[in-house]
Amino acid sequence: MNKIQSGDLNNIREKRVHEIKKFKAALMVCAGTGCVSAGSFKLKDLLEKELKERNLDNEYMVVPTGCNGFCAQGPIMVIQPDGIFYQKVKPEDIPEIINKLIQGKYVEKLLYKDIETGNYIPKMENIKFFGKQQLIALRNKGIINPENIEDAIARGAYNSLVKALKMKQQDIIDEVKGSGIRGRGGGGFPTGVKWEIAFKTSQEKNVIPYIICNADEGDPGAFMDRSIVEADPHTVIEGMLIGAKAIGASKGFVYIRKEYPLALERLEIAISQAKEMGLLGKNILGSDFNFDIKIHRGAGAFVCGEETALISSIQGKAGEPHQKPPVPAISGLRGKPTIINNVETWANIPVILDKGAGWFADIGSGDVSDSPWNGSSGTKVFSLVGNIEHTGLVEVPMGITLREIIYDIGGGIPDSRKFKAVQTGGPSGGCLPASHLDLSVDFDSLTKAGSMMGSGGMIVMDDKTCMVDVAKYFISFLKDESCGKCTPCREGLIALYQILDRITKGEGKDGDIELMEELSQTMSLASLCALGQTAANPVLSTIKYFRDEYEAHIKDKKCPAGVCKELISYSVNENCTGCTVCAKKCPVNAISGKVKEKHIIDPELCIKCGICYEVCKFDAIEIK
Amino acid sequence: MIEIIIDGKKIEVEKGTTILEAAKKLDIIIPAVCNREVVKAYGACRLCIVDVNDGNEIKMVTSCNYLINKEIEVFTQSDRVRKTRKMLLEMMLSRWPNVPMIKQFAADYGVTKPRMVHPLVDYSENACILCGLCVNACSEMVWEDIIGFAGRGENRRVVMPFEKHYEACIGCSTCANICPTGAIYMTDIPNKPADEKRIDKFGMKITEEMTLLDDQQCRMREVGTAHLTEIMNDYDLLPTTNYRFGSHKEAGKLHSDFFKSKFTQGLPDGCWLGCTMSCAKSIDNYELKSGPYKGQKVLVDGPEYETVAGCGANLGIFNPEFVIEANFYCDTYGIDTISYATGLAFVMECFENGILDKEKTGDLELIFGNEEAAMEILHQMGRGDGFGIIVGQGIRRMKKIFAEKYDLTDEQIQFMQDIGMEAKGLEYSEYVTKESLAMQGGYGLALKGAQHDEAWLIFMDMVNNQIPTFADKAEALHYFPMFRTWFGLMGLCKLPWNDVEPADNAETDEPAKVPGHVEGYVNFFSAMTGKEIDKFELIRQSERVYNFQRVFNFRLGYGNRKSDRIPYRSAGPVTIEEYESRAERYDKQLIEKWNYDIEGKTSKEKRDYLRKMREADYQKLCDAVYKRRGWDDNGIPTIEKMKELGMDLPEVVKVLKRA
Repeated sequence: MNKIQSGDLNNIREKRVHEIKKFKAALMVCAGTGCVSAGSFKLKDLLEKELKERNLDNEYMVVPTGCNGFCAQGPIMVIQPDGIFYQKVKPEDIPEIINKLIQGKYVEKLLYKDIETGNYIPKMENIKFFGKQQLIALRNKGIINPENIEDAIARGAYNSLVKALKMKQQDIIDEVKGSGIRGRGGGGFPTGVKWEIAFKTSQEKNVIPYIICNADEGDPGAFMDRSIVEADPHTVIEGMLIGAKAIGASKGFVYIRKEYPLALERLEIAISQAKEMGLLGKNILGSDFNFDIKIHRGAGAFVCGEETALISSIQGKAGEPHQKPPVPAISGLRGKPTIINNVETWANIPVILDKGAGWFADIGSGDVSDSPWNGSSGTKVFSLVGNIEHTGLVEVPMGITLREIIYDIGGGIPDSRKFKAVQTGGPSGGCLPASHLDLSVDFDSLTKAGSMMGSGGMIVMDDKTCMVDVAKYFISFLKDESCGKCTPCREGLIALYQILDRITKGEGKDGDIELMEELSQTMSLASLCALGQTAANPVLSTIKYFRDEYEAHIKDKKCPAGVCKELISYSVNENCTGCTVCAKKCPVNAISGKVKEKHIIDPELCIKCGICYEVCKFDAIEIK
Repeated sequence: MIEIIIDGKKIEVEKGTTILEAAKKLDIIIPAVCNREVVKAYGACRLCIVDVNDGNEIKMVTSCNYLINKEIEVFTQSDRVRKTRKMLLEMMLSRWPNVPMIKQFAADYGVTKPRMVHPLVDYSENACILCGLCVNACSEMVWEDIIGFAGRGENRRVVMPFEKHYEACIGCSTCANICPTGAIYMTDIPNKPADEKRIDKFGMKITEEMTLLDDQQCRMREVGTAHLTEIMNDYDLLPTTNYRFGSHKEAGKLHSDFFKSKFTQGLPDGCWLGCTMSCAKSIDNYELKSGPYKGQKVLVDGPEYETVAGCGANLGIFNPEFVIEANFYCDTYGIDTISYATGLAFVMECFENGILDKEKTGDLELIFGNEEAAMEILHQMGRGDGFGIIVGQGIRRMKKIFAEKYDLTDEQIQFMQDIGMEAKGLEYSEYVTKESLAMQGGYGLALKGAQHDEAWLIFMDMVNNQIPTFADKAEALHYFPMFRTWFGLMGLCKLPWNDVEPADNAETDEPAKVPGHVEGYVNFFSAMTGKEIDKFELIRQSERVYNFQRVFNFRLGYGNRKSDRIPYRSAGPVTIEEYESRAERYDKQLIEKWNYDIEGKTSKEKRDYLRKMREADYQKLCDAVYKRRGWDDNGIPTIEKMKELGMDLPEVVKVLKRA
């Protein structure tokens, strides 16, 4: 492929649009990690085969796309241009899908069924899950083939780069500053301010700064960055190019975890395609701007998402955080000014340049016209997981309420259970109770409520969730993921885990809560990096909002949610019909009873595995 | 200067000072486990936290790495600070209940029994407390990374790579010495020293000096010896075009900054692993331009000063790339860079003076600055063909070969004697000695030939004028060769003796000897062997060997005044051109030192008179040195001297009786 000039982008776009138009329809098969594991690659191959066999492959095209967001319903297929949305598509559905397609109809059984009305909804845009979303970072999800740069260009990729190449460096920075965008990785530091520091420092010191894209997403239950890279790697590359132009960098790194093989592969493909076209490398688009991107694979340490640890890791050292200041924007990679932004932040940059700072600033909450610190502009991507009807990826304007996300988009709590808490901000975020459902989702409100925005993980929990157990889970994760460099984080987490473990085993004692609060305070005051400083949040927020549950464990030796094995017992109630299923399934033969008579569980033998509870069709197993 | 307040006390500090340093000046003690002056602040233990009011807010920071850059007020004992420290100590004590240092700090804060039960409790008094001092000392003090942290969180531990014994560790013991709990200790010490602790102390002192002082002194770790080029050029001591001159306008091209930019490994390349000085440097991926490996990218071990000066300035080649290439091929062919350079410089001067021509050199125009010809000679030496065969035999043989083979005049033969820079058959290393009589002795009186590793006296003699009389010079030419011989006896490197010096060295009575280090070596010997010696015995140990070697040389027909002769080029200007280039200096000396009336004298007359005087001075120097060393007029050790040293072995006495 020849290196292209700025003007060539239009030609490529028109050519590709024309090519696509030749087809009657495009079958967009979701090939995000979720759908791939549900079999979407096989689906795509079979679709192509079927179309070919029926000589339809010139009329209909099959496009593998990035994550659509509606992961729980996968594999997902969207037929464009009409936007017909199929879910849970199986290989045997293919002939019918094609038959209907030819007839201009759709397969009803594969459509999404509205939870409230029970009606089938053929078009994607009418599904509530998608309806309330506003797509900026994810604007190309499900629409392009992420492995085809021409698809991205057809959707306007690299147009903002062309614009940036004509702008003065300070003007680009001012635009980003004016948009009010704050770091999507969790810190919430104004991106433009960070860029300006790096730009000025490198000018003063006469050194070449670096650019880093942080794709080391390590929070349990979070997959925003992975999905962005999988769905639209070119927006990340374009964002980095604009950042590089703004501060004068010539080399950038993407730090991406090795556990993301698909994202890694797509990013590699995207970079090599961009290089071939001359969108990366020397004299980009015929200008005098040079920039190259190198991929650095992370080995899966959560702490390496912390910027100073990430820099250490790139430099071949142990992924351990360093004291700030100096912040990386002043002294980062190899001692040079370095801007590290998260994948999602980079993905927003081309749109900010395209539509303007004012447009972006108008989205979201607060008024950022004076200072980015006065609000949270733009949108935020969340991965919505846990006890929620619509597990998946959503992008919503800042300032939306938790209730809107969980109920309107997420479809609420399944199995008619009650909402208990939502955990935001990754493992070191906090758990917010139902009383906070109308909280505005923005950087400052979440922090004020004892949680944080984090990078966008959102774990919804129903009333069968034990909050002490939840705190223990997150503390256990953090205990293993703390780098162990500084005393409060390393030892504090070990101590917290020990205490929580005791409490969940019924060995809690008076003073445990106070000791945990004391430990937590020391951790947040004295820890070296943000991981340690926030690591106690799961404990502090659950104590704050669910103190009675702790007390039930400690004083009454009871787990109200029925989760902590040592504190619960299983028994059979009057609903028992004597069907014998539980007795047959019990792995330790702890259940006895005659057919059609009430059964009994021997508490001495019972290992509280919960299988009887799962298999009983008559709600006859009780957990106390 | 910035004025800050710590616990109500005011102090002025320089910008960039840490709070911990400032507090120390006020005698305010802040507890810290992971902090030492010799390593960078690591900020791991967090015990040194303090509250800082910077005008906007009160925030908690670690005092070890908080750099003061504006007026602040610091509280080292606020309730919040005390409470946090107490909790940190409770955490530590729960894990390491018997480590004395932790116990003491904890007791100071009223913690005796932690409330937490630690799953990894370690009851050892010598438990590793993960402070990181050992890891950072290995990296920052020794510039090695033999140990590091492995594992995260509760699995964090100090290990060698892959938790196996790492051969690269030679046991410099820095980690063990800095460890505050004794978790690291030395075992299986191969030399079985009599007093291990005493040796550790000696080693640690050098390591600490390297860490704290080298950057301000010789920058040995950073650039090795390459930085000498610019210093020598500044003092007119850098040999250019076969030692004719001591400086050159193009010498800047050989500046250490260039080589530093080429030194790619960014790590010390010690002659032996664990050396904290590690002055050897190397260049990776150098693409060769000539020879059998042309076009290949190779690793070049060097260059160091002698190679830069010899292959560069002394050949009139001011191209650092040539130096690197010559360095590589000398190493590859097994040729000494000094002998190659000094030998070829001699050849070039012969060529320029008509002793050689293209016919004799196999069509090579061996003039100063001709890189291509100079490199070709090196390859010929390596291959063993062409004119390279002759050059490869060294200056002493070349002088003989040229005189026998070519039709030369007596003047030409004498000229070769004057400019052939060898003594005892060994080519001169790369210092111009013309203005330092003591250094001429340093080269000429060295047992092995013209090498400066017995005595390097140029600065003492010429620059600082510390040894003005013959007796002073003789004393220096006795003491230093003996002292430096001792390094050979012990298998030690000379460089850590005076290429890094104690901070207070200049204030001692004999700074040139580096008394602090001499004391260290005395200690080292005594601790290693268990035999207490003093600094005089140290010299006597060398004297025994040195005199024995001299007798050995004498037995083989050398080791006398005749064999101590030096080429005149090393003592003064051979040519009129040389004289005139530094006429002011020489004229002044003729008038002031020898009361010679230069009025109306030609350069030739002045040069000849100067030569007479300087050659006589060298002989007087020999007289003085022989006397000081206990040798006879012919430079041969006396039987009495050998007796005094306990070296009057029958074989030795037999040889000396012939004298």
